[in-house]
Amino acid sequence: MIREAPVTAVQAALHRRWRALTPVYILLALVALIGVIGAVAGAVLLWQLAQNRTPYYVDVVDEFKYGSIGAETHSGIPYRIWRALPTLFPEAFGGRDDYTAFGFLYEGGPDGRWRDLPIGISRRTYRNVDVVWFNCATCHTGTVNIAMADPYGALRTGRHIVPGMPSNNLDLERFIRFLLDAGADERMSADSLIAAMNTAGPKLSRVEEFIYRWYVVPLLRDGLILRRSRLTPLLAQQPLWGPGRVDTFNPYKLIQANLPLASLQKSELIGVADFPAIFNQGPREGMHLHWDGNNTSLDERNLSAAMGAGVTPDSAEIGTIKRIADWLKTLRPPPSPYRPDPAAVTRGRELYVKQCQACHGFQDANAYTFSGETIGKVEPNSTLGVDPARLDSYTQKFRDYQVANFFGGTPYQFKKFEKTDGYANLPLDGLWLRAPYLHNGSVPTLADLLNAPAQRPVAFVRGVDTLDPARGGFVAPACTPPAAPAGAFCYDTRLPGNGNGGHVYGVTLPADQKSDLLAYLLTF
Amino acid sequence: MSQAAATADVIFTPLTFRNLALKNRILRSSVSGRFDNEDGSLTQTRINWESKFAKGGIAAIISSYVPVLMEGRIIAGYATVHRDDFIPYWEKLGEAVHSFDCKFIMQLSHSGRQMDVPGVHNYARPALSSTSKKESLHGFLCRAMTVQDIHHVIEAFAKGAWRAREAGLDGVELHAANGYLFTQFLSSGINDRTDQYGGSLNNRARLLLDVIQAIRAKVGDKFHLQVKISAIDHNNVVPWEKKGNTLADSVKVAQWCEAAGADAIHVSTGSLFPHPLNPPGDFSFETITATYDAMISSGVDTLRNYFLFRHPLLRPIFRWVWFRMKRGRPVEGVGEDEARAIKAAVKIPVLSTGGWQSATKIRDAIKSGACDGITIARSLIANPDLPRFWEAGHDLPPLPCTYCNRCLLNAPKNPMGCYEPLRFASHEAMVAQLMTIYNTHPILRVPPPSEVVP
Repeated sequence: MIREAPVTAVQAALHRRWRALTPVYILLALVALIGVIGAVAGAVLLWQLAQNRTPYYVDVVDEFKYGSIGAETHSGIPYRIWRALPTLFPEAFGGRDDYTAFGFLYEGGPDGRWRDLPIGISRRTYRNVDVVWFNCATCHTGTVNIAMADPYGALRTGRHIVPGMPSNNLDLERFIRFLLDAGADERMSADSLIAAMNTAGPKLSRVEEFIYRWYVVPLLRDGLILRRSRLTPLLAQQPLWGPGRVDTFNPYKLIQANLPLASLQKSELIGVADFPAIFNQGPREGMHLHWDGNNTSLDERNLSAAMGAGVTPDSAEIGTIKRIADWLKTLRPPPSPYRPDPAAVTRGRELYVKQCQACHGFQDANAYTFSGETIGKVEPNSTLGVDPARLDSYTQKFRDYQVANFFGGTPYQFKKFEKTDGYANLPLDGLWLRAPYLHNGSVPTLADLLNAPAQRPVAFVRGVDTLDPARGGFVAPACTPPAAPAGAFCYDTRLPGNGNGGHVYGVTLPADQKSDLLAYLLTF
Repeated sequence: MSQAAATADVIFTPLTFRNLALKNRILRSSVSGRFDNEDGSLTQTRINWESKFAKGGIAAIISSYVPVLMEGRIIAGYATVHRDDFIPYWEKLGEAVHSFDCKFIMQLSHSGRQMDVPGVHNYARPALSSTSKKESLHGFLCRAMTVQDIHHVIEAFAKGAWRAREAGLDGVELHAANGYLFTQFLSSGINDRTDQYGGSLNNRARLLLDVIQAIRAKVGDKFHLQVKISAIDHNNVVPWEKKGNTLADSVKVAQWCEAAGADAIHVSTGSLFPHPLNPPGDFSFETITATYDAMISSGVDTLRNYFLFRHPLLRPIFRWVWFRMKRGRPVEGVGEDEARAIKAAVKIPVLSTGGWQSATKIRDAIKSGACDGITIARSLIANPDLPRFWEAGHDLPPLPCTYCNRCLLNAPKNPMGCYEPLRFASHEAMVAQLMTIYNTHPILRVPPPSEVVP
């Protein structure tokens, strides 16, 4: 093309200027282009970093099982990695691609297919990465297998998932140990994790792969390594927890409160106890809550429990926690399926009213009555004589730290925590679902609890959910530690914190009266 | 008002220069329109235009900007005086104005770099100036004149004056104000020369004084010669420019002009045109957006300006640039103080321009010794018979000039006239008023074959 000559002097000058400045213009255009790309990328990044959303469940029971209380943000595992772990560590998952190996429970969804996540695991999109972690149902949903012929009540023969009962299947310690060990395992390198993610789910896009390789995986591993270095020395000093049990306060001291292990007393290091049932919370307001009765406020106890699940003051889903707390106020346990002899029940009730009701309230035909002189009050352990480890694990020092530091400056600041000298007298609603008994689950059945400590089983199987048809509680054959049937755990009462002594009420009754009392207790 | 009272009115007392006597104190200031032929010859339309003012009662008309060379045009389409064969046309114009008992003074001009619409003659060459630096507002390109160029221009001015005298006109005015060639030499904000035409004020004034002497040499001492100067440059309209000449500088220049043979000083303001203070008044963005396109190809910064004028979000930038100099200043008599300062320093009469319109203010200015006469353009465009209203005892006409400056902003593209919509019943009425100057057409004829160039 022939270049046209300029017509005016101004055009000639502009042509000269254009030629002289062409490199500058090209440079400016490049800079502008890079700027625009950077601005768009920055905007997308900011948008992604701002993402923090979680599904809402219309049904409060679904919200309880699958809804988020805010634990994923700081404690969770990216969903894609959660899905990939069974592929990477088949030996820990029993070769299955789900988490049943640790006692997590799965059920069908509204579409009739098995749900993707187990009960007690919620999902949240945080910084555009889907993250999963615990909620209330993790520790408070269990199963019961009713094998008796012709049971009565709401539940028929078969295996039932019961929201609100203790998570009798979940071996939380084994799950935590697995994660902590995985964090230091070479299979958790970005390469093998990304390969496993691509096997277990849709292939990651290049952008996702970049984000996982350089941001998510290092962050997760750093978090796991930090927790491993804090928790492993503690766990090394504790007997294995076994299914249905948790140390509520000690991990909380090391992780959430950042206290060094060396600052803790030896006497407080074993705080392992059973998951409690959480039925009928309304009538419990004002009673001493937690096994040692260290708080009289439902709200504070709920928030404190949420923190145990991994919630932090800035991530707590206060609205969801309140919604679930409100629902729990009136959640009644399913009625007992036992059909003891009615005459024995009547006789047993007379005995119970005289000897037990003041501390525990009582069961009527259809409802539990939360009345009694000392119900919900703390009974000094000098009187009770049960294993003191759980009581000793909550110290005045930690109480002072909690009150000073958690939710400070918000309406939720802890005020009601206190150090007690014993264990709380608990209402016994839903008693048939709460085995094994005592705070540490050291006595397998109600019948055993009415025996003197020396006659109680020394070692028994935990983690079976089949209802014992006669003794009240789950089937718990004797075992020789550490041997246990597959999928179960041999609980040794001789280990620290596992003691089955104390609570010697009713142990001296004649056999027929014990039988009557047991008959009445089976109706709870 | 009785004749006696009117005679007593200072406005209507005669003004006598060394070589020229005016019947009253009011002159039409230089203003032009694109009425003429591309070759610079004037038309019947221009004669009609000037006659309109002459008939209105003023004492004298200072012509449109009249280039002495084609390279000195500001807008193609304004009549020039660069050829001897144009003398008869100017003679006819003078005859028409004289018929209304009005004098006619030709404003001899050279644009220098301030060339708004160059025309085909000037397309391919940069304008001549004291400097090679582009003009500050529009980015008009230029080349510093050589001494030979300067001598050529001096000669052209002398010849222009001679042609004006030959045409029977009543005098000439050197346009040494408002940013044109003489200002480009005079202004310390523009002139960056290092020869005898740059540096000191004396050197910067050399071109103007040489031209006065050359004219006097060519036409003698008996022909009226006045000089229009900017009292203060205010050259920093574009904020990073230097301020230029001060009033003290201009007082000196006026004294030197007097000594060199000037008969009067005409005092204006500003080292570019238009300038926030000349003509003072408003600035219509919608009008400039409709007309500035005619100038976009003229400079290297014009497209920038067009965007500044056109886009509402950018207008505040130009509004700030333009209006920041006006704060606290009146529109009418904006240059009165400067005229007074110069009048105090010279013995020849001084004329003042700048928004004059009301009889009261004009009387006060003349009586108080600020000046000897007043020159007016916009207010006479709005009301060419303005003196008749004063004679009748009114201070202002019923529909005075609003200083909207739409006449100015239409100049590059449309016929000169009043474009203030508030002064007309309708757009059609406004156009009809604008068209009145075309009413008398020359008689058309078939050219003889000898006149037709193949």
